[in-house]
Amino acid sequence: MSTAELTLPSKKYRQKMTVFSIVVVAVALACIYTNFNPLGIFMEFHYVRDLVGEMTPPNYHVLSDNSSTAMAILQTLSLAFLGTLYGGVIAVVVAFLAASNTMPFRAIRLTARFVLSFLRVIPILVVILIFVIAVGPSTFAGMLTLVIVTVGNFGKLFTEMIENVDNPPAEAIFSVGASRMQVIRYSIIPQILPTLIANLLFAFDVNIRAAIGLGIFGGGGIGFQLQLAKSVLHYKDVTAIVSLIIIMVIVVEKISDYLRRKILGEGKLR
Amino acid sequence: MLEVKNLTKTLPNGRRLLDGISFKVKKGEFVGILGSSGAGKTLTLRCLNGLLKPDSGSVIIRDEHDRPLDICKINKRELRRVRQKIGVIFQGYHLVKRLSALENVMIGKLGQINTFRSLFYGFTDTEAEQALKALDKVKMSELAGSMTGNLSGGEMQRVAIARAIFQSPTLLLADEPISNLDPSNAKTIMKMIKPLSEHMPVIGVFHQPEMTAKYCSRVIAIKEGKIIYDGDPKLSNKRLEEIYGEELELIEQQEHLLAAIAK
Repeated sequence: MSTAELTLPSKKYRQKMTVFSIVVVAVALACIYTNFNPLGIFMEFHYVRDLVGEMTPPNYHVLSDNSSTAMAILQTLSLAFLGTLYGGVIAVVVAFLAASNTMPFRAIRLTARFVLSFLRVIPILVVILIFVIAVGPSTFAGMLTLVIVTVGNFGKLFTEMIENVDNPPAEAIFSVGASRMQVIRYSIIPQILPTLIANLLFAFDVNIRAAIGLGIFGGGGIGFQLQLAKSVLHYKDVTAIVSLIIIMVIVVEKISDYLRRKILGEGKLR
Repeated sequence: MLEVKNLTKTLPNGRRLLDGISFKVKKGEFVGILGSSGAGKTLTLRCLNGLLKPDSGSVIIRDEHDRPLDICKINKRELRRVRQKIGVIFQGYHLVKRLSALENVMIGKLGQINTFRSLFYGFTDTEAEQALKALDKVKMSELAGSMTGNLSGGEMQRVAIARAIFQSPTLLLADEPISNLDPSNAKTIMKMIKPLSEHMPVIGVFHQPEMTAKYCSRVIAIKEGKIIYDGDPKLSNKRLEEIYGEELELIEQQEHLLAAIAK
């Protein structure tokens, strides 16, 4: 047995101070290099103050007078829903191809894993850019982006869920002469199903927020309305739309939390 | 009914795990395999239904047309067919905890029903009734609908036995079926397994010499991969010492303790 090295308090203090000074010097150098004034936030605050003045009071008439806002909200909700559904289904299929306990062929497994990692590393804004060029700025482009992003984010998670299921039941099912497909159907799927559905609800929650962001970059929906109002300098309309977005996000999150708690059981919310 | 010839299994480092295991088992026999930890009991049992492939040797079983088949040499497809008629009970129950007790019992017939039907439709009502009868035999029909994960150890093992009964096998294997259970539950399980041996050979791996003496019709003792005893289940102290070596004292202590708890 080796005895642990004893560090004296004075030495520990010196070590901490060294790390601290290095960080301070690095921050200072970075500020000088990027020409960033750390106090700028406070000194140039009047810009923000002026904008807030222009943004209030919110022009709520834009919500009631203009039916396109309600349509846009519906569009955002549907594109997030479809993106999650299609993305989720593809993610589950690819995850079964990528998991070592469901796919015996190494080549297919590695290909599926490569696809998942590849999708995960492309930034979401690059994906929307590609689809906007490919199919034009529309909710369709936004939906396709969400499909890709959902597969990338949740495919690996689902793969790990499949690989982490209890293995002994599979052995018992094999030992009555069942096939691999039957093991998947009667051991793996019942074990992952509740977590899978809960994760898809979570994905929907995440995708709603992403869908709003995507709208600004040509993905359609409420994000696009926001972008329109901003570009014609109707800041009071912007505030109204933003408050509507906040309410929508909160409502969706609460519903998804409630359903997930129902599915996974009390106290198991991540 | 079942003939095991000269099973050997060697690790890459040269250690012999199984060293020429041979025995025959007939219908009506309840064979208990005894031996200290690492002697090769479970390994032998796993060879019997093809979960493990030995280096050499053969396991001969007769199929439904009474043709002899060597489990160690047949292909995957045939192995699946043979396994339909071999029931297995495991130490850790090996049940799907997210399914109901009844569904777990029905899994016993998965190998025998049409794959397509099993994937998309599931089991028929008649099969469910038969499964319920199997559960009734182990006195679990009242808990048929409950989630398996919520059952106790003894209840889970009874579900596992019901699964084997529902499978209607021609050979039953039991891998330490009572090792995770308290003495009274262990007795219940042994009492449920014993009558099954009237219809098929039953081979079980056990860690409790007093249980095999009471319920088994024959005992096979394995030490360092070799059979050192095969015969009457009532073993003398000298014989037990030979089988277990230094481990015996531990087992005796454990038994005293368990007996004390049972009282």
